[in-house]
Amino acid sequence: MNAPRVLYHMVRADFLERVRRYSFLVTLAAALLLAYAVATEKVWLVVGDGYRGVYNSAWIGALMTVCCSTFLSLAGFYIVKNSLLRDADTRVGQILAATPMRKDFYTFAKTLSNFAVLACMVVILMLAALVMQRIHGEAHSFSLWKLWAPFIFLALPAMLLTASVAVLFETLPVLRGGVGNVVYFFLWTAAIALVAAGVDDPTGLQLLYRSTRSTLHALNPGGPENFSFSLTIGGERAVRTFPWSGIDWTPNVLLVRLLWIAVAAGLALLASVFFHRFDPARSWRKTRSQAPTTALEPSSVDRAVPLSPPVPITAAHLTPLARTSANSRFPQLVMSELRLMLKGQRWWWYATVAGLLVGQVVSPARDVRSGFLIAAWIWPIFLWSQMGCRDARYNTGALLFSSARSLTRQLPALWTAGVLVALLTGGGTGTRLLLAADWHSFEAWFAGALFIPSLALALGIWSGSSKAFEALFIAWWYIGPAHQLPGLDFMGTTPASSSPGIYALAAALLLAAGYWRRRQSLGYA
Amino acid sequence: MNLIIENVGKRYGGGNWALRNFTLQSGPGVLGLLGPNGAGKTTLMSILATITRATEGRVLWNGTDLASNPDLLRSTLGYLPQDFGVYPNLNAVEFLEYLAAVKGLDSAASKKRIDELLNVVNLADVRKRPLGSYSGGMKQRVGIAQALLNDPQLLIVDEPTAGLDPEERVRFRNLLSELSGERIVILSTHIVSDVEATATDIALISQGTLVAHASPELLLQRVEGRVWEWVLPSAELNAARQHYLISNTARRSDGVHARVLGDSPPAGAQPVTPNLEDAYLYCLSQHRAGVAA
Repeated sequence: MNAPRVLYHMVRADFLERVRRYSFLVTLAAALLLAYAVATEKVWLVVGDGYRGVYNSAWIGALMTVCCSTFLSLAGFYIVKNSLLRDADTRVGQILAATPMRKDFYTFAKTLSNFAVLACMVVILMLAALVMQRIHGEAHSFSLWKLWAPFIFLALPAMLLTASVAVLFETLPVLRGGVGNVVYFFLWTAAIALVAAGVDDPTGLQLLYRSTRSTLHALNPGGPENFSFSLTIGGERAVRTFPWSGIDWTPNVLLVRLLWIAVAAGLALLASVFFHRFDPARSWRKTRSQAPTTALEPSSVDRAVPLSPPVPITAAHLTPLARTSANSRFPQLVMSELRLMLKGQRWWWYATVAGLLVGQVVSPARDVRSGFLIAAWIWPIFLWSQMGCRDARYNTGALLFSSARSLTRQLPALWTAGVLVALLTGGGTGTRLLLAADWHSFEAWFAGALFIPSLALALGIWSGSSKAFEALFIAWWYIGPAHQLPGLDFMGTTPASSSPGIYALAAALLLAAGYWRRRQSLGYA
Repeated sequence: MNLIIENVGKRYGGGNWALRNFTLQSGPGVLGLLGPNGAGKTTLMSILATITRATEGRVLWNGTDLASNPDLLRSTLGYLPQDFGVYPNLNAVEFLEYLAAVKGLDSAASKKRIDELLNVVNLADVRKRPLGSYSGGMKQRVGIAQALLNDPQLLIVDEPTAGLDPEERVRFRNLLSELSGERIVILSTHIVSDVEATATDIALISQGTLVAHASPELLLQRVEGRVWEWVLPSAELNAARQHYLISNTARRSDGVHARVLGDSPPAGAQPVTPNLEDAYLYCLSQHRAGVAA
């Protein structure tokens, strides 16, 4: 077996399959948007006491790289975490599993394919960096090395690590689905927090932090003790500039970066330990209650067809059905959707809901919304994330959409079921606000209950996947309600941070967006 | 009860026409839709099931254009797609109850109906098992059951016997025959024996166009006197294939028994009674010859 050739073709085929999908164009558009935001100074890197670097090759390269390493290492994970799943869904995986392909080859090839997708976006930002230096032109000298070196030594290893983590998550049953999407967010947050701890983090921010700090300290020895390093989006601009000539790429620095590449390769190899070659017994859509098929019914291949059938092969009679109006069955449909949502939840899921409800009822009033409600409305995230995309995931669209009034009955019923989940899980808070006649807070709570399922439904329908909601919601929940950030606090955890009117309107718009998209996708609306 | 398809065409992205100028009228009975892979059968089924919209032409259900009121048909439509999924955590009863609710059936009627249907498709014993543990054939039977939930007047089944064992295939054919008296059943398949057993009408489709629409008897009449059995040495079989349309071969002690379709027989061939497969192959070869000319 010619190993490099096999590896090349595995990566190539997977990469081509991805870049020819519509979703790849969306990904490239997002990268271009990010590049545009940086080039037009919507995104700032502020260091020290309100400083930014003079726009020379080194600073522009560093700025773009910080964006790569932070935004793309988060969003990129959700973009590429589907390569094994796609092979399972398309059944190509079963074909591959029947070849002599080694498991470590497969996971390594998938890591490289993920990396190739992420590297495409890095290349776009590298080209955008060239354009940015032309636009701003604060420095006359131009150095391609200084401009692109941070991309090569910082961003690309970070992308490789992201790619390998995505493959590892896909091979681990616990992290393969929505739980992995949530876990990665917190893992990413922890990795970024390594910067503050002074550790050489995978994104390379620590290197930039140290380099800019030493440069500023040399320029201004009497400056303040506390040194800040922040990436600002649309916030206050830096008021002062300083010349920065870039990171000194010493052998030690490069060795640390090589170490992260080695970690990525190690994770790809580790993934091969958990990868089971699409063994149906360890099925990719496996459910906890799944039992071996052969125990129920032997296949037609291995079952001998009897010469005389054991039971008469006759068609049982079907009683004609009395025709009734479909419109009166809406509550029944809502209950069916709710039952479908809750199906498969274990006892501890309900026990947690009950515990959170009790907490909402008995805890001190000031802690209810900023504590128990926040937990209560993150707990059903995987119920909501299936809204709007369950039919795509399980290929039941043709069954559902050939039914009468699916757009005006099934879709509203699905949304209502999602709202009911929010109202039930956050019911303790709502009841207390109602009893206390705290109308403003009640409105904020109710708007939150409408907003969450509307967001889930719209993202599910538009993306056809649960990942978009899981990634966005967990980040929004963390930044907004968990930190009580005005404007982003859709749960209205404090009177100061709540915006019920905005979120009720947003819920209506999201619902309309979901409806419109579903209508577009149906042949006959 | 009638279904009229008038000059229907479907063009996909890239300008490829999957269906062109397709016209057909159907009443109660089983309409077997036969055609080779890629002929446009599934596209036609999707249009009739209101899943996709025709690029041109129109479909009338009891005189009403589907484009103006698709729900009129949907409320009385049963559809078994060629490729469909199930929710793996639900059992058969829960899944059918869910789809019954989506179809607007009331709770009491749907429970009784589901019980009947699970007996009909022979899944009553495993009704409480999660669908994720079902074999392909069992899932197919769940699909058949859901298509019959609302006692449809138009039943569209696309490759319904795929994955079924011989016993279940016979059971399904019997069921279709029983159901066909009071409704229109459109059965799309490439398994000629399924159509032969159930169809009251047959539509042959190739390259997106209607090749023939007739009763099985009329189709068989077309090949009457054109089917021959020819016994030849096995070494000459490949050469014979160059000159004759051979639909079947069987090796016997006296040589290869070849079933030959053609206007004139090879020397020594004996006439035999045609079957539907002969008619299908003959009509398709005539159509291809016409297109090529």
